[in-house]
Amino acid sequence: MKQLSQTAMRRLISVIMLAVLVCLFTILAGYGQGKFFNFANLIEVVRDASIPAIIGVGVTFLIITSGIDLSTGSMMALVGMVMANIYEYTLWPFKVMVLFGILTGLFCGLINGIIVAKLNVPEFIGTLATMSIFRAMTYVIAIRNVNGVIKSQAMNHSEYVWLGAGVGKFYYVIMAMILFIVIGQILLRYTRYGTNLYSVGANRKAAVLSGINVAKTRIIAYMITGFSVAVGAVFTTARLQSATTAIGTDFEFSPIAAAVVGGAALSGGSGDVIGTLIGALFMATLENGVRKLDMNTSFQYIIKGIIIIAVVIFDATYKTRMERKAREQGAKEGLE
Amino acid sequence: MAGNTILEAEHIYKSFSGVPVLQDVHFEVKVGEVHALMGENGAGKSTLIKIVTGVYSKDEGQIYWEGRPVEINSYQDCQKLGVACIYQELSVIPPLTVAQNVFLGREPRNGPFINYNKMNEMTQELIDKYQFPLKPTTIVDNLGIGQRQLIEILKGLSQNSKLLIMDEPTASLSGKEAEMLFHIIRTLREQSVSIIYISHRLEEVYMLSDRLTILRDGKNAAVLEKEEIIPAKVIETMIGKVVDESAGSRKMLHSDDSKPVRLEVKNLTDKTDRYRNISFQVHSGEILGLGGLIGAGRTEVVRAIYGVDKAASGEVLLSGKKLNPSPKLSIKEGIGFVPEDRRNQGFIPLLSTTKNVALTNYDIVKINGVAISDSDELAMSKRAIEAIDIRPSDPDKQVGVMSGGNQQKVVLGKWLMRNLKLLIVDEPTAGIDVGAKDEIYSILERLANEGVAVIVVTSDLQELLRVSHRILVMRKGNIVKEFKNVEVTQSMVLAAGQGVTENQQEEN
Repeated sequence: MKQLSQTAMRRLISVIMLAVLVCLFTILAGYGQGKFFNFANLIEVVRDASIPAIIGVGVTFLIITSGIDLSTGSMMALVGMVMANIYEYTLWPFKVMVLFGILTGLFCGLINGIIVAKLNVPEFIGTLATMSIFRAMTYVIAIRNVNGVIKSQAMNHSEYVWLGAGVGKFYYVIMAMILFIVIGQILLRYTRYGTNLYSVGANRKAAVLSGINVAKTRIIAYMITGFSVAVGAVFTTARLQSATTAIGTDFEFSPIAAAVVGGAALSGGSGDVIGTLIGALFMATLENGVRKLDMNTSFQYIIKGIIIIAVVIFDATYKTRMERKAREQGAKEGLE
Repeated sequence: MAGNTILEAEHIYKSFSGVPVLQDVHFEVKVGEVHALMGENGAGKSTLIKIVTGVYSKDEGQIYWEGRPVEINSYQDCQKLGVACIYQELSVIPPLTVAQNVFLGREPRNGPFINYNKMNEMTQELIDKYQFPLKPTTIVDNLGIGQRQLIEILKGLSQNSKLLIMDEPTASLSGKEAEMLFHIIRTLREQSVSIIYISHRLEEVYMLSDRLTILRDGKNAAVLEKEEIIPAKVIETMIGKVVDESAGSRKMLHSDDSKPVRLEVKNLTDKTDRYRNISFQVHSGEILGLGGLIGAGRTEVVRAIYGVDKAASGEVLLSGKKLNPSPKLSIKEGIGFVPEDRRNQGFIPLLSTTKNVALTNYDIVKINGVAISDSDELAMSKRAIEAIDIRPSDPDKQVGVMSGGNQQKVVLGKWLMRNLKLLIVDEPTAGIDVGAKDEIYSILERLANEGVAVIVVTSDLQELLRVSHRILVMRKGNIVKEFKNVEVTQSMVLAAGQGVTENQQEEN
């Protein structure tokens, strides 16, 4: 019997989960205008999924190397606030402002990468620390009124207003997300760097023996995460047309959740960007559906948590089962 | 086929902190030969290989590659020369395909993109050339251990390696997988690839090797040509005749069947076939030695008896009462277990002697209200220290910093504090100095005198003969031989474990 690889199996499961959820909400919350299943609402779902998916690209790269980044939410706030400062105090054009935002993200990623891959601080602790640092720095550079109280900085560049919208219902953020997913998937599957990511996560010793620069691979993955966070920050501030210190409070969690639901195991070596897109869509559908059902929105967090635990349990048991199967298969061949 | 020399190591000396491990060792491999390397545990085989592959530096001596003197200071150096090592712990990347694994870090590219077509073609060419039962596009996740090993070999060959080093390659392979490997080894030899084959399994060595180098106590014991490789001679050379005539290598076994049966194992069979239909009895007051090669399934059997791993079928009876083994129940019923991997499984390095001794005994330590009685805990550890002379005798000493012998005494000590019925010890003196070894043997003997049944798993033949009242030998998951009330020598046990003598004909 042909055995599905873990990757194929997980893809199948996450697609089925998403399909079941969409069907469930269509039945419960109905279809047609103002209900759950209609074009406008589904586009809304995709729009909500876009930023977690964009950041999820970087985070997926990290999780494949068996790494993690807990600082993405704070980093997003910091990038937003850097751009707000440029908007407030300079007359630099919009493009330069965005460029500085992106550079901030890359720099934050580089810092994370050096702390983790060069100074060998465990990922969880290292990025937990930078999570705190980035958030605090956001407060330090926040723009205050004459009484010293932080004000929400309105940013209404005409270009910004434009970026927050789209061509009709096709928001630019959705297009950016699609671009990210396509490029991310190509990087993973068709370049040496992508193969290196899987090697570093699945068997680090073997990666070293094959001449792969593990530290460099990991640092680049952190920088890609920083880049994707910065792009996420640009679109978030564009949609809100302001930057606040509270931006990104849920974004430590949601990209990791999307990647995990989409098939990336935290033990490393598995998952891909398309899976993360499915995971992000699943989470956005859940949020939207719960809202359409007029349920207490807190429920969505409970359901999200339960689903993540279930998925992780599945990954762990499936992995041990596969290992046993490999051994049994060898033993069976011996008895023939 | 005996042609030019590809690798030659001359006058190799190596010592670790003053203890000589290799002394004036000479080792030579010719082009296109399978050269076996044998020796008992600790004879210096792996040290020699680590010097050749640049993991260790040699103290003295010279290595020649194709006649030229070379310095090998890292694994990369040896890879550049064309040596590939097939590690026991496999270094494949499971989520990638066969081809991706073979060309990891050296993928053929079109601009920035990996050229999968070319990579798969190149892998297919290699597979065809050496007739490997693999497909380039299969994801390694779905492959058995034998096939994963072939990927490693293929990886070596893709780098045009001329010499492959295989360290116990069949240790975790099934019979069929091993057959496949032997076939491949023969094919490689025809293609002029040289192979260093390290194995404890004599029958494989007879079957495959063109020449055989035997090391004993860090010195060359012999280099045998194919026609000189005779089982009895090899075993003799490995153990050394001198030793064989000394007291430690021959013993009259006496076992007493009159005492009641303490443990009975009936048809124990593993889920993954590492052992099957294991049946035996241990009497009260008896020390049963379990011999055989590493990987014969001994550790797996005793782990199943203690209940760490579950057997697929079979029964374990303690004093006639059927058990459904689990560590918790075993401890309650009076079964003690001293695991093979002392540091990781035997004790908690950061905790004190007191805490380590108390670890399995909290059911008998007094409780004051809700808190464990510190004084009772301390009294117990003092009793243990006294009973078996644990040094340092400070009960608060962290066990992690003690010597190996004393660590093992702490592990044993915690079982002595209980009303023990059966004690299972797996490699009880691995890495322990001679003095402490004797102390551990006398503890085991004392327990037996008190009526405890003892099972000793050991790969040290001298130890096996020293402590056992009766010996069972396992081979490839079966009990193949029992020595009971007979005179037994190290060679006899080794031969049984190797499947020489009457078991040699046996089809596996």
